[in-house]
Amino acid sequence: MTAVKLTLDRLTKQYRAGLAPAVDRLDMEVEEGHLVALLGPSGCGKTTTLRMVAGLMDPTAGRIVVDGRDITATPVHERGMGMVFQSYALFPHMDVAANVAFGLQMRRVAKSKQTELVRNALDMVKLGHLASRHPKELSGGQQQRVALARALVVEPTLLLLDEPLSNLDAKLRETMRTEIRSIQRRTGATTLFVTHDQDEALDMADRIAVMNGGLIEQFGTPADIYERPRTRFVADFIGRANLFEASVAAASGTGSKGETVYRIDVPGIGTSEAIGEAGLEGSQRTVLVRPHRVQVELGAQPGGLTGTIENVSYTGDALGYSIRLGDVLLQVERHTADGTIPARGEQATVRWAAEDAYVLPEEVRAP
Amino acid sequence: MTATQAIRTVAQGEHPPLQRSAEERRSRTRQRRTFWLLAAPAILGLFGSFVAPLLYMVRMAFNRGSSDGVIEETFTLDTFARAVEDPYYWKVTLDTFLMGLTVAVLCVIVAYPIALFLMRSQSRFKSVLIALAIAPLLTSAVVRTYGWMVILGGGGLINGTLIDLGLITIPLQLANNFTGVIIGLTEIFMPYAILAMMSGFGKLDPRLEEAAGSLGANRIRTFLKVTLPLSLPGALAAGLLVFVLAISTFVTPRLLGGGAVRVLATEIYDQATGLINWPFAAALSILLLLLFGAMIAGYQALVRKLGIDR
Ligand SMILES: Nc1ncnc2c1ncn2[C@@H]1O[C@H](COP(=O)(O)OP(=O)(O)O)[C@@H](O)[C@H]1O
Ligand SMILES: [Mg+2]
Repeated sequence: MTAVKLTLDRLTKQYRAGLAPAVDRLDMEVEEGHLVALLGPSGCGKTTTLRMVAGLMDPTAGRIVVDGRDITATPVHERGMGMVFQSYALFPHMDVAANVAFGLQMRRVAKSKQTELVRNALDMVKLGHLASRHPKELSGGQQQRVALARALVVEPTLLLLDEPLSNLDAKLRETMRTEIRSIQRRTGATTLFVTHDQDEALDMADRIAVMNGGLIEQFGTPADIYERPRTRFVADFIGRANLFEASVAAASGTGSKGETVYRIDVPGIGTSEAIGEAGLEGSQRTVLVRPHRVQVELGAQPGGLTGTIENVSYTGDALGYSIRLGDVLLQVERHTADGTIPARGEQATVRWAAEDAYVLPEEVRAP
Repeated sequence: MTATQAIRTVAQGEHPPLQRSAEERRSRTRQRRTFWLLAAPAILGLFGSFVAPLLYMVRMAFNRGSSDGVIEETFTLDTFARAVEDPYYWKVTLDTFLMGLTVAVLCVIVAYPIALFLMRSQSRFKSVLIALAIAPLLTSAVVRTYGWMVILGGGGLINGTLIDLGLITIPLQLANNFTGVIIGLTEIFMPYAILAMMSGFGKLDPRLEEAAGSLGANRIRTFLKVTLPLSLPGALAAGLLVFVLAISTFVTPRLLGGGAVRVLATEIYDQATGLINWPFAAALSILLLLLFGAMIAGYQALVRKLGIDR
């Protein structure tokens, strides 16, 4: 299969005049063979974006370009994309084999060839033995895999998945993640994957587009999104985060990846260090510290920020603290093996390496 | 807990389950009594208004009637013999069946696109459109039948217009025959067909049509491969409903048929009220019931054969 490149150019959807656009001038480039996750809270416009790409809905403005060809006006049945719906949308009046063969039939593939391709596709999703069942007689996970086989059997140029795992139970979801990812790698299909689950996105995607209110907040690799979020929304949405405001003081050096190391002043708490983009001196910014990057010592120690332990939660593997530092309630996570379990009300001192705290480039939004 | 304590607990535990199941049984009895008490008025009503008259009718069919209205209490198969032996009643039965079938098929054909459109509509006025589609139910079938007589009659709207336009010289025979009755019944039962279809289209998830599109099916093939098979149960159910309504209706065949249309319903009416031959009317009614039964059995066989009851 030859993978294609998908470009979205100022793609916009406004459902009704006067309503805020559900998708607002969205720009995105999906490289050949990449799996891109559209990640965001419910209602942020993920499905709308996917449906426009699929051709199930006309954009209000903007273009959809595949390998340099503008397909914005191409009807759905001529786009040759594979789509997996959240509800799977398997044809209830056909058995599994007929469901998978549907796309081949539409392409007028010879009957004998159809049989072979259907068998291969079902083997790929490990459902060869259920070919003559009807969708109703399958479990959720099996239906999901039939939907995947049905979409993939026609070797689509683009694979579109709308929350394909959200109807599965937690354990199956994990298995299917790996399975979808490995099938996607094997077929090499360029893939758009809609999800509201950040773990899924981090785990599966080559690139993540974090969406919020019809806009892309950030587009980047999972590591980028997690380590170097551009906005408070992204930092908060992906993973657990301590976010607090600080005054960025003078730059004091350069980090290992070329970032600027700043001294930061957290009002009413003290000073520390953090890294960030160049040129943030003298500004008011949000600082991100992930809970497991915070070092904690019991008692008031010099050279750190001292506060009071408000809560301790023990989950077996890890120990979580909430430490009150002035206005900030800092979440800290430690491995249990690291020491004794402290009591609430005890004093503790936290510190972090400059590289473990990140000054967000986004200006502090007025509350 | 020590071993003796544990044993004692188990021993004690043996009694409560027994008591509980007795308690449970009592509560179930109580539930059953509540059910029958609540259902009693409906069951009595149904018995009084439907089962009892039906039984009375069956009994009546075995009596002997005569054209002077005298009913002889007896037990004979005379009435049935007459209905079966006289080819006239075979013809009436066949005509009844054909009329029901034609009206059902026409109703389904006309109502299907309307029901599909109403199902799909994203319009703000969807509920208004649905109300409009079934609004004719507000007018009684008698009034609408008279309306059709005015429209279809020899000097009626259609013939008048066609003659004025010079397209025809002799009025078309649109009323006082089966054509008129079928036109009238089709229009009269269309709202029922629309309602029945809309409730029968439950499986018609628009996602399925989108899935077909994404797999390369154009609109026509999507319709043939997905929409039609999935809407067939609703269409068949609507057809059955209209058939049953059509073969049991009396007013429209009598009025629009102008006496020329003889179906079981008009025949029963004539026997029962004109000739006062209740036993024979009862026998014809049983014939009509059998026609119902045959149609429902046929419908179910069809549904099973098409495998659409899944
Ligand atoms: N058919 C529609 N008509 C009007 N508004 C819609 C329609 N579909 C979605 N929306 C609105 O558009 C926004 C984005 O919806 P959607 O793309 O479904 O979000 P997501 O898939 O991210 O949960 C939401 O605010 C939703 O209410
Ligand atoms: Mg969605």
